Amino acid sequence: MSLKRRLTVVMAAALLALGGAACGGDDDNDDSANNNGGATTESSGQGGSNDGPVTIVASVPPTDHGWLGAISKNAQEAADQYDDVEFRLLEAADSDSQAQQIEQVISEKPDALVVLPQDGEALTPVAQKAEAAGIPVINVDRTFSSPDAATATILGDNYQIGVSAADYIADELKCEGNVVEIQGLAGISVTEERSEGFADQLKKACPDGGVEVVAKQPGDFNPDTGLKVMENILQAQDQIDAVYTHDDDMAQGVVQAIRNSGRDDDMFLTGVGGSQDAMAQIEEGGLYRATFLYNPSMAASAVNMARLIALGEGFEELVPPEVPRQVVVPAATVTKENVADYEEYAFN
Amino acid sequence: MTTESPPEGGAAVVDEPLTERRLGAFRIQEYALLIAVILLFVIGAVLRPDSFPTVDNIRNMLTQASVVGVIAVGMTFVIATAGIDLSVGSMLAAAGMFGGILVDPEGSTLVFILGAVFFATALGSINAIAIAYGRVVPFIATLAMFSIARGIALLLNDKLPVGLLDLNGGSFGDPAAFSLLWFGTGRILGIPISVYVFLGITIAGWLVLNRTRYGRYVVAVGGNREAARIAGVPVRRTIMSVYVLSGFLVGIAAVLLCARLGSASPVSGNLYELDAIGAVVIGGTSLAGGKARIGGTFLGVLTFALIFSLMTQLDLSTEVQQVVKGAIVLGAVLLQRPEARL
Repeated sequence: MSLKRRLTVVMAAALLALGGAACGGDDDNDDSANNNGGATTESSGQGGSNDGPVTIVASVPPTDHGWLGAISKNAQEAADQYDDVEFRLLEAADSDSQAQQIEQVISEKPDALVVLPQDGEALTPVAQKAEAAGIPVINVDRTFSSPDAATATILGDNYQIGVSAADYIADELKCEGNVVEIQGLAGISVTEERSEGFADQLKKACPDGGVEVVAKQPGDFNPDTGLKVMENILQAQDQIDAVYTHDDDMAQGVVQAIRNSGRDDDMFLTGVGGSQDAMAQIEEGGLYRATFLYNPSMAASAVNMARLIALGEGFEELVPPEVPRQVVVPAATVTKENVADYEEYAFN
Repeated sequence: MTTESPPEGGAAVVDEPLTERRLGAFRIQEYALLIAVILLFVIGAVLRPDSFPTVDNIRNMLTQASVVGVIAVGMTFVIATAGIDLSVGSMLAAAGMFGGILVDPEGSTLVFILGAVFFATALGSINAIAIAYGRVVPFIATLAMFSIARGIALLLNDKLPVGLLDLNGGSFGDPAAFSLLWFGTGRILGIPISVYVFLGITIAGWLVLNRTRYGRYVVAVGGNREAARIAGVPVRRTIMSVYVLSGFLVGIAAVLLCARLGSASPVSGNLYELDAIGAVVIGGTSLAGGKARIGGTFLGVLTFALIFSLMTQLDLSTEVQQVVKGAIVLGAVLLQRPEARL
């Protein structure tokens, strides 16, 4: 029995090794060097700066989604700009391992910690611990549940995204038409806020009604779920004038469902995020009419803020120069008219 | 040991009695599920008379069912040997991504298809070797592959999807024959290509399981491995073959999905294993092995497609959908239960 079990373990390990080797072999892209996934350590230039290097550690959820991938890329690039920053990016599979990871990091005493928590609530205690140990925490996107868990917070405005989308769609439809909402993952605050903002603002923008949300279904931020859900909604609804999707990645599946049905001239669609694909399609014109920025460049801002805090400096525009407690990134509306201004911030 | 006892109480002997037993229970159970499918359709027709019982929607449901349907045929073979394949959803994503990078930026539909099918088959073969020769429990071996294949899917193009619209060679409404999109949305005589593929594979699967010696081997291995070995069944090779087959069919499913999606996405196929296993089990194939019902699997896949279509059309909220879906699955299984006990 025990021999059999041991054999099982050995085989599993061998299998994993095999898989690893296989994917190494299959990866014929040369750029694998700068993207190893997992934890990457990169110290940028030991150049002599005024105060000696500051160490910044960032902890993020697994970057298996376009937006989260862009978060880690942005953070890394921001850190690479500075000679006086030693930066390390850690990915964690879930809340528990992220908490453990941060515990570990606290013992290393970095000068600042940037955290995009998997779940803000669950990681609040460990962030408080870091703060108590004298390590300033910069909280990104998903907020901690207690104000003493972070020195500074930078986040997008999910409710405002819903508001911007409602304004845009109400305006384009002149308060008359049927709207479909393809939501993100059900049961998380991001989805609920994007949906609430949309519903609330739609009532304000069209006080006499006229715009009806005829279907509201989750697409799980996943293109193939978005495709299937939209296929069914297209069956159910004869008249659709606009589609509000909660995410640019997922929207690609929704776009394909509409194109496959041949109804792409009857309606338009909006996304959220600001991906390159979305911006390219907005520029082209047609089905994809707008996206609302939820820009992963906030991770770059977070690293910049972490550096300033670690160096004891602040935003020069503020009097006295300091780093604000909370920064809310505006949810800009990107359309064909202004897409050129935003393309440099697009993520892929 | 705890498998359903044969109706006549015969001992687990391999050849003829087993076949008889299988065919005997076959009809009653499938009628139960057939009733569920018809009932769901009637409910849909009553609640949404204008949009549910239409030719267009039937076509839509069958197209959506085709991806999991093809996977579920392979899963039926696997489960018949008392195995399980948890890696199908991840392998689907990896296969699509592998085909995708082969044709990015340039390539042909054929290269994409061969690449995807080859890669999925290769991954399935790793499962097969680990299980048949390494004697790893199927649950663990395919759980490892579940993780490996998803990782590979993400690694292949730096976590990004690969656009495949260049392979379409035609407009969206009317894709050119044998272009990639054609496999997803093209039609012959009003029936989508993906539905022909789904039905063809289902029929072929039924024939192989019920009309060939290999099919009897598969069921025999799942029923009683020792008895099968003594009776001269090549047990190891049979077990190996079902995981390779599962991988191969996942490759075909990947082509059908990517064709409809116009891209290969590293996050696609999430939780497809549960839909495939669910369809197989509500179709009457026993998780304990030794019993395989492709016809039941087919109806199980249709059940899921009907539920999904109906609930989206009714615009039910997610939480209600989850409760209703679970209740229908439980009901469908309970409906078969008394007959299975007789």
